[in-house]
Amino acid sequence: MRKLTTSFCTVGLLAMFTASPVVADNHAEQIALGKAVYMGKSRGNCVSCHTIADPDAKLAGNQGPPTLSMKARFPDKAKLRAQIWDATKNNPLTIMPPLGKHWILSEEEIDAVVEYIYQF
Amino acid sequence: MKIIKTLALNLAVASASQAALAADSGFDMQTVDPEADRIALQNYFKARFPETEIADYVNGIYAVDAGSREQWEELEEFPPYEFDVEKGEELFNTPFANGKGYADCFENGGIGIRHKYPYWNKDEGTVKTLEQEINECRTDNDEEPLAWGKGAIAQISAYMAWTSRDKVFDIQIPADDERAKAAYLDGKKFFYAKRGQLNLSCANCHVQGTNIRIRADLPSPQLGHVTHFPVFRSKWGALGTLHRRYSGCHKDSRSKPLKPQTETFRNLEYFQSYMSNGLVANGPGARK
Amino acid sequence: MNKGLIIAIVLIVAVVLFMTQSDKKEVSEPAMTKAPPPVQVEPSPAEPAAPEVSLQEAFEMNRAMYGKGHSFAWNGEQHTTDHPEEIEASKEATQANAEALLASAMAKNAEVAKLGFEWKLTGDILKKAQQSIDQGNFQQALNLAAQAKYHARIGIEQYHYAQANWHLSVPE
Repeated sequence: MRKLTTSFCTVGLLAMFTASPVVADNHAEQIALGKAVYMGKSRGNCVSCHTIADPDAKLAGNQGPPTLSMKARFPDKAKLRAQIWDATKNNPLTIMPPLGKHWILSEEEIDAVVEYIYQF
Repeated sequence: MKIIKTLALNLAVASASQAALAADSGFDMQTVDPEADRIALQNYFKARFPETEIADYVNGIYAVDAGSREQWEELEEFPPYEFDVEKGEELFNTPFANGKGYADCFENGGIGIRHKYPYWNKDEGTVKTLEQEINECRTDNDEEPLAWGKGAIAQISAYMAWTSRDKVFDIQIPADDERAKAAYLDGKKFFYAKRGQLNLSCANCHVQGTNIRIRADLPSPQLGHVTHFPVFRSKWGALGTLHRRYSGCHKDSRSKPLKPQTETFRNLEYFQSYMSNGLVANGPGARK
Repeated sequence: MNKGLIIAIVLIVAVVLFMTQSDKKEVSEPAMTKAPPPVQVEPSPAEPAAPEVSLQEAFEMNRAMYGKGHSFAWNGEQHTTDHPEEIEASKEATQANAEALLASAMAKNAEVAKLGFEWKLTGDILKKAQQSIDQGNFQQALNLAAQAKYHARIGIEQYHYAQANWHLSVPE
């Protein structure tokens, strides 16, 4: 129960933080970058395997689970980041490329894609 | 599911008995068992796609995806490779400068033999492919070899496949030569090992990922992969050889791709063709 | 009154169930990895990691969660999440340093090529690093050479991993 309250608080705090006007600009830029990475064929190309409720997501594949309820599934954002950085840690056979470990994306791009998908 | 179960089990014992594990599972020279592999692969696909007859796997993705099958069947009514088969026949029957021809280089005059390739050549100690012997036929007769990927070599190969339609693949791994088994094992290992910056094995897409969308594409099942080559691929807008496809796939994993007909790719073809034993040759084929 | 209480309890139970379900989802996959799955260790950046976690595992976990330029304690020592190649690239941006790093990156890539596991883009990155040196842009050359060298090193790791584990995905 305590864990539950904590994660609710975290989500709440995060929502307040991200909504604050001071960081809005920077955050909007980061989300735009994250979206470009998610959709870009020679960048993250996440959309090739993960559907997402973004009207700009065209021809999404379904090799991986859909990108939804990210906050509920990953209350700890750092764990979501780690999953993108190297999904083989949790499942050595996964088809998902280790986007960070194999330096397919830069660390900044990974941060950005985390911010982008955390909205869904 | 079975894979996953096996994986969990393997990992549980991995640290304790790495050597024993290898000995139990048929992944080294002592234990590798091609026939067991072939049956296990068929069983895997039977479980994944219970509706599909094993014999239908020669039709690739269209064996398991009803949605795209209809379109493909329409395409096959006026096959895009028809011209290439005719051109291939013409090339096949055109004598070399020395008066000899392709028919002189092959068993049965080169007719109805596609399903016997690739085979283990004991004298040379290597796997021989059909395209390789087409070019050797040329160089033995003082002609320039053809480029491996497309064009004339694919057309000649297409004609030879055409004359072999419905013959059953029967790839042999001679028991009296350990090197043949080693070549098979090497091909198998290549197929299942993750590689490249994207960390993909052939199996990631063509076993686990079969018929699951990557963007708008559906990866084909590995069972039956080789039977319909060479292939007229809409993406290429032309006919191409199996090894051209291998290079493309290898590159898609973001590996520096190997060249067609390198030993590794010939071993891969040996493994994959053995997996298709019992299926009929139905090349050339048409694919997206 | 009673009804309201029951509804409240049902709601709480539902929420708790949902949370534990989603937690379960997260840890059900790690059950397949070699024990112990690093994501379950959850050390905060300041705490020392559990001793059974190797330095490499601790490094990867911290890099994965926090990116580069982050420090963490392991076995009583302080470490950063920077790759050795990134540390090499942070040397003074001189021609000599850029050339030395490029040479070692090329050697590493030759090593992985020999194993048959060279990656597709590495050759181009090495070429660009050389061009950057030719143009006097030594910092860019250092960065590119570091990336190429890292790619080659991880390709070698990937080769060794494949030798030991390729059989895991074979249907049986």
